[in-house]
Amino acid sequence: MTDHKNHQIPTAKPSSIKTRFAIKFLRAMNKLNNKNKNNKNTMSEKHKRFLAIRAAAHASMASAVGPRRAWSRAVLRKIPNQQKQLHYSLMNKQRTRRRNIRRNRILLITRGNPNRENYDHEENEDEDEEEEDLRELVPGGKEMDFCRLLNETAHYIKCLRTQVQVMTNILHHSSPSNILYK
Amino acid sequence: MQPASREFSGMNNNINPLLNHHHGGQFDPATPHDDFLEQMLSSVPSSAASYNWSDDHAPPQLEEQSLSSKMRQHQISSGAATAKALMFQQQLLLSRSLAAGNGGADGGSGLLPMPHGDHSDLIDGNSFKSINPANDASIEALLNGLTGSLGQTSNQSQHFHHPHNFGSAGAAAAPAMNHPAASGGGAAGQPRQRVRARRGQATDPHSIAERLRRERIAERMKALQELVPNANKTDKASMLDEIIDYVKFLQLQVKVLSMSRLGGAAAAAPPVTDISSQGKSGNGIQTASSSNNSDGMTVTENQVAKLMEEDMGSAMQYLQGKGLCLMPISLATAISTATSHSRNPLAGGGGPTSPSISALTVHSASIGGGEPSPKDGGPVFNSKR
Repeated sequence: MTDHKNHQIPTAKPSSIKTRFAIKFLRAMNKLNNKNKNNKNTMSEKHKRFLAIRAAAHASMASAVGPRRAWSRAVLRKIPNQQKQLHYSLMNKQRTRRRNIRRNRILLITRGNPNRENYDHEENEDEDEEEEDLRELVPGGKEMDFCRLLNETAHYIKCLRTQVQVMTNILHHSSPSNILYK
Repeated sequence: MQPASREFSGMNNNINPLLNHHHGGQFDPATPHDDFLEQMLSSVPSSAASYNWSDDHAPPQLEEQSLSSKMRQHQISSGAATAKALMFQQQLLLSRSLAAGNGGADGGSGLLPMPHGDHSDLIDGNSFKSINPANDASIEALLNGLTGSLGQTSNQSQHFHHPHNFGSAGAAAAPAMNHPAASGGGAAGQPRQRVRARRGQATDPHSIAERLRRERIAERMKALQELVPNANKTDKASMLDEIIDYVKFLQLQVKVLSMSRLGGAAAAAPPVTDISSQGKSGNGIQTASSSNNSDGMTVTENQVAKLMEEDMGSAMQYLQGKGLCLMPISLATAISTATSHSRNPLAGGGGPTSPSISALTVHSASIGGGEPSPKDGGPVFNSKR
């Protein structure tokens, strides 16, 4: 797995999310492999490695997306990487503050709406459980209003898809090709 | 009748709730009545605008006209003082429900300047007959009910009798109505005209925000539907369920992929195999025997092959009981490659020989690790067939 960079990167537009993610992920994998030269290979080690790889996948996805999206910001926040946090905070301090203020106002209007209950009581009850599930699934979903949550979910789904595509391609390219199915 | 009752039940002292609840159903605009109605209606807004709603005389007087529901619709859609239109509707409904010759004092309200004869052609015959004294009592009752629910006193009803008795000409009634109406319509019309609500939409800022929000949500749900496969389009709730399941599925895929790169699935091997067999549908499932345990393995192999014919689930369970698992080829190769790279001295090199060697190494590694539990996904089968 040390020669990933020589393999084909999935062909796409030069600066699409796909390529950005692919590059970052491959770099992260390289780093991981270099770190893990003393292979213990016990299950716990493997588990840790798996977790590290998955975290690397999410982190590189989020950084490929950039701080434009709420969910990517939420993921970036969780990275214990100081550099990334600094980057994020520098970029978005003011922006997010303004957005949060605006969002709070909107939240006050929409959520604190007394008439809401009169209109669609049943609808709210039905939606709430799934809404909560969705909020847990999408990173950073707990503090968004429903509208925004749907937006973020759409983008998140797109990015997850590209993630899966890229990782599958990497996997296929890195395996010995004569055993691969066609 | 139902709309009438609904509207009446919703009527409060405020005009606003009237507006809110008055959603006016699916009236059919395309009728021969339209031209006439529009003509009539066009004469209304101008006068309505000046009405002073604070004066309670106006609403009951409108009751006199029994216009068809389509007229109501036109009134409302024309964006005229909607409160007044509401009143029209309710009264019209009431009067229509009587199904008697309610003569909306045609001229009386100032809405029907034309004589009866013309009306009856275009609009329901019931609605436009001359006012019968017999009807007055019922109309009175209606008025009372109307005024009562409107929070008006019954004194008003007597006031209404005057235009009532005018008859079809009702020219006198028209000004009579106009004056009080003028006072009433203006005050209420002005704040309401500020927020020009379309038909079926309330002017209440809260509900406007609510509607905007709902529209936005609907847009986004549509966008999500395109992304997610199996777009039901039926139900918001089921759509949400689909979305949630899809997100979970994608996240699981990422997890599986990141596990496969390691070599040695960490968590939950059986789900790994299931899902990877779904996701990589072209893969064959390999079973193999390593040279060491060929006897034991072949027996197991045959067993598994038999079981697989009947039921995959039981085959998997059988394997799990032995501390083994099935997995697709690409996953196995990935794992074997990973382990062969990590164990360079053992692996002779890449190529066809490595998988079997690495199978051995994996096997021995897992045994050496002392973790034979099936959860850990035991030794990997690789095949050479």
